[in-house]
Amino acid sequence: MEETAKLDTLQQVELAEGMGIRLRMAGPMLRIVAYLMDLLIRGVAVVAIGIGLTIAGFAIGPQVTSGLGLLVWFLLDWFYPVLFEAGKRGATPGKRMMGLRVVQATGSPITWGQAIIRNFLRAVDAMPLPTYGFAIVSCLATKRFQRLGDLAAGTVVVYDRLPAPPRVAFPPPISSVPVPVKLTVDEVRALGLFRERAGLWSDGRRAEIADQAAVLSGARGAAGVTRLMGMAHWLQEKRGGR
Amino acid sequence: MTSGDFEEKNQTRWLEYEELVNRLENGKSVPHAEEMPRRFRELCLDLSLAESRMYGGNITERLNNLVIRGYELLYRTRRAGWEKVVAFVTVDFPQAVRNEWRLFWLCSVVFWIPFFVVMFSAGHDMRWVQAILGADGMASMEQMYGGKEEQISHLRSEYGSNFMMFCYYIYNNVGIDFRTFAGGMLAGLGTLFYLLFNGLFMGAAAGYVNHACNPESFWTFVIGHSSLELIGMVVSGMAGMRVGLAILNPGRLSRVRALMAGAKEALPLIYGAGLMTTLAAVVEGFWSAEPFPSALKYSVGTVGWILLIAYFLFAGRRGRDAA
Repeated sequence: MEETAKLDTLQQVELAEGMGIRLRMAGPMLRIVAYLMDLLIRGVAVVAIGIGLTIAGFAIGPQVTSGLGLLVWFLLDWFYPVLFEAGKRGATPGKRMMGLRVVQATGSPITWGQAIIRNFLRAVDAMPLPTYGFAIVSCLATKRFQRLGDLAAGTVVVYDRLPAPPRVAFPPPISSVPVPVKLTVDEVRALGLFRERAGLWSDGRRAEIADQAAVLSGARGAAGVTRLMGMAHWLQEKRGGR
Repeated sequence: MTSGDFEEKNQTRWLEYEELVNRLENGKSVPHAEEMPRRFRELCLDLSLAESRMYGGNITERLNNLVIRGYELLYRTRRAGWEKVVAFVTVDFPQAVRNEWRLFWLCSVVFWIPFFVVMFSAGHDMRWVQAILGADGMASMEQMYGGKEEQISHLRSEYGSNFMMFCYYIYNNVGIDFRTFAGGMLAGLGTLFYLLFNGLFMGAAAGYVNHACNPESFWTFVIGHSSLELIGMVVSGMAGMRVGLAILNPGRLSRVRALMAGAKEALPLIYGAGLMTTLAAVVEGFWSAEPFPSALKYSVGTVGWILLIAYFLFAGRRGRDAA
């Protein structure tokens, strides 16, 4: 399949083990929501720590309190995303809520250095302040939705676990129909997907799609749907192996 | 073999693997953890079989997720220990700075020339200095260094104010270092802007104090921490320019590849710059404003400069890959 013909956001990544895994890249919309979540979490943290420090201020003095406040602000500003993304889960709390994770372009967890690079360069990505305009333009202009910090660090933001596409159970075919001709791998996949998704569509839509393969099934309309489902079942069913 | 057969045949193995991954992810002590690499390779094989035989979404998606989780476990990077930190300070950092000596001079020039030009311009004509500092800036310089005696130690007399200023210097100065680095992403323009701006502003402050305030109170204050702070700033500029030049002049690499390589090379510089500026904040917070005799402060500050220059010239020459 040609890379340019792709419509979805799955990226094939080749591992050293000689096989590929598929990572689903996360687009800007979801990442903006994750960012806002993090902003909210940080805001709550600042308020909570601020209240704590104000109370502690009676004991340790107002100067020490405001100093600690500045230190907390500095750490939250620069190191909150670094610590979480370099950590075990590879995601800030906001990203985790949205089911996202930061990984290297090769799919492996990111290093400290990469977490530092991608988050320190936020200062440029956020420009023109505070719109994150550069980041959004960069995301839309690159194949893997990378903002400038991602490009420099060689990281991507992906869905942590690929969300299962919605499937609605469809009554299993009554009979399995042997496929008379040899199908290409893409055709086998198309039949499998047709079966998996058939429950999502109305009768009319199912028939409409099945009519595209009328040459294979030898029937049109509802009969064609039944035969295609039978063939898909035949391709997938248990036959005791070879 | 159909997908149903395939699934039935391997089901137990997949469940065992998933159980193992679950335990390892939770970080508990796991029996048979040494089986993980072998099981991972088996899963990789299963996934490529399922892919090439087009077994459909359910199976490949499940295997794909299992393989990704195993991959993330196996390829986790080990955290650096204290030896790494010591090696960084004694060898890696000074080496990194020496390797980028061209950038060191470039950034130094961009900072020091405006600094001295503005500072000496105050002797002939105060208008540049006045334009740069503004009314508020001049007022605060007067407040800190205006009088005959050392006002700055009076300003610090309240309990905890040394600590407060230390935190402020971390927040402000280390933050500026990081921004200077990030500015490199704008093809180096952001970095040059910060260096130039700091040069102009600090030069204006020095010039103003020399001619309108009490210079001794200013210079005794800054001499202690200036070595760490100013060279730290120049080093953060080097980190930014490393990134900026990678974009401007990628050489034989593609621009994105060059950017990644440049950012990686800039890392020790930005770590070091952050470290130096943090140390400068310690000195500035707890030493510089103390009411010690001027001679003591001048000599300690000068020794600091000499030690720091010696550090960058000689430290780590024999260590690691210095040969």
